[in-house]
Amino acid sequence: MNMRASDLALDVRQLSVLLRGEPGLISSWVRGWTMNRVLLYIAVIFVGAGCYGAAMGYWRDPLQAFYTGLKFPLVILLTTLGNGLLNGMLAPLLGLNIGFRQSLLVIFMSFTIAAAILGSFSPLMLFLVWNTPPVSALSGTVSVAYSFMQLATVVMIAFAGVMANVRLVPVLRELSGSSAVAHKVLFAWLAVNLLLGSQIIWILRPFIGNPAIPVEFLSVHAFEGNFFEAVFQAAQHLLFR
Amino acid sequence: MNGTNPGPLDNTPNPIKIPVSSAGSYMPPVIPSAPSGAAQPLGTNPAEQVPITGPVSAVEAILRQPRRVIFQLKQPNAGSVITSLLLIAVVCSLVYGVIVGTFSGGQQYWAAPVKIAAGLLISALICLPSLYIFSCLGGSQARLVEVFGLVAGLLTLMTILLIGFAPVAWVFSQSTKSLAAMGGLHLAFWLVATIFGVRFLHAGFSHLGTKSDGGMKVWVVIFVLVVLQMTTALRPIIGTADTFLPAAQDKKFFLSHWFDNLDADGGRSRKWKGDGN
Repeated sequence: MNMRASDLALDVRQLSVLLRGEPGLISSWVRGWTMNRVLLYIAVIFVGAGCYGAAMGYWRDPLQAFYTGLKFPLVILLTTLGNGLLNGMLAPLLGLNIGFRQSLLVIFMSFTIAAAILGSFSPLMLFLVWNTPPVSALSGTVSVAYSFMQLATVVMIAFAGVMANVRLVPVLRELSGSSAVAHKVLFAWLAVNLLLGSQIIWILRPFIGNPAIPVEFLSVHAFEGNFFEAVFQAAQHLLFR
Repeated sequence: MNGTNPGPLDNTPNPIKIPVSSAGSYMPPVIPSAPSGAAQPLGTNPAEQVPITGPVSAVEAILRQPRRVIFQLKQPNAGSVITSLLLIAVVCSLVYGVIVGTFSGGQQYWAAPVKIAAGLLISALICLPSLYIFSCLGGSQARLVEVFGLVAGLLTLMTILLIGFAPVAWVFSQSTKSLAAMGGLHLAFWLVATIFGVRFLHAGFSHLGTKSDGGMKVWVVIFVLVVLQMTTALRPIIGTADTFLPAAQDKKFFLSHWFDNLDADGGRSRKWKGDGN
């Protein structure tokens, strides 16, 4: 737990190794688990995803920027920790013989890559917000602007997520020695993380902030319904209205 | 020339070998590929090791010896090279901005240069973090300072080329009243300059160990979009307006701004023809 400034600086430089996805080196880090490394990843997740979230929320209000900057990294941390036990059990069951802490570290690595990519996109997101008509402008324009913000957010997050998982495959292959096992484990982890992550996002909404609703940290209806129910109802409304 | 008698090509480092088939007849010679710039390690040519001492030296190097610039960016004195490159980019964009300002005159003589120089620098800074991340994702070993240096080189090459286009732009700006035509012309010049700038950037990354250039292609699209949007966010640059920058409620996507200008220009043109008749 005693992380010195020099260790931290050294580890920050090692972030580029993660981004390059060098399987040999990353696998050795996974085998030699240290708390310092986990703390570094948590810091990168908070800074990267936090900056992106703040830029995203700034369109609605500076207070929304603060809230989203806090909630966005929380989604990642809560998803990783909430699924930690399940992911740790799924790995050996699917043929990847690593411990609970190692599986947690690999997932943290993946989210760290995603957070670093999102952090690098945060100036772009801020530029997008600067060029989008504000909430105070006409309602018709805001509706288009709100939709555009949502679309841009989805595209950027999807890109970061895909890249993070693409980088994870060679590491899992190196650890398991089998491409099939690597893909099975990745698919299982993705499925459970998607299941829990989408619901945490649902509970912690709003992120961009709906112009029609006052700025709030959590929706008053936070624990009402769930993500998949809402998607089903939206599809039902679209098809059978 | 046959396989035993030496010919003029024997002086080359990779002589052409004429293979003989099993039937004894000569096969067509395999022409060796020319050594590419990327294959040769940086600094092997002594000319690349000559330090870049100032802006004049930097202009010459980026036009004639881009490998020398890339090599110098990997040296401990990279900071002074980057400073020189940025200085050239700022001066050249200011000069080109004055030419852009001659279309409308008045306040645009100083507003256009300021907006063009600031817009280019801000666009580069906005896109810098994503370029560094994309370079890492592509397997590059480049440090942030080297990536920053390559972006400075991109801006420098772009703006130097714009200076080359400046006399042409000035002639057109004195002879046309169409805002859309001038906008299109400046855009075309900027696109040509960007293509050459991106070539420099690509060469730089190929020397910094990039294994995949997919990320860089995505980044180039992002950079072009950001610069185009910046021209709309900082408008007016060519024309005139009551305010230095557009009001918050007048924010537009650049395509929407272009179409509005085309419509307005078409309206003016129709009105002029009507008056003439």
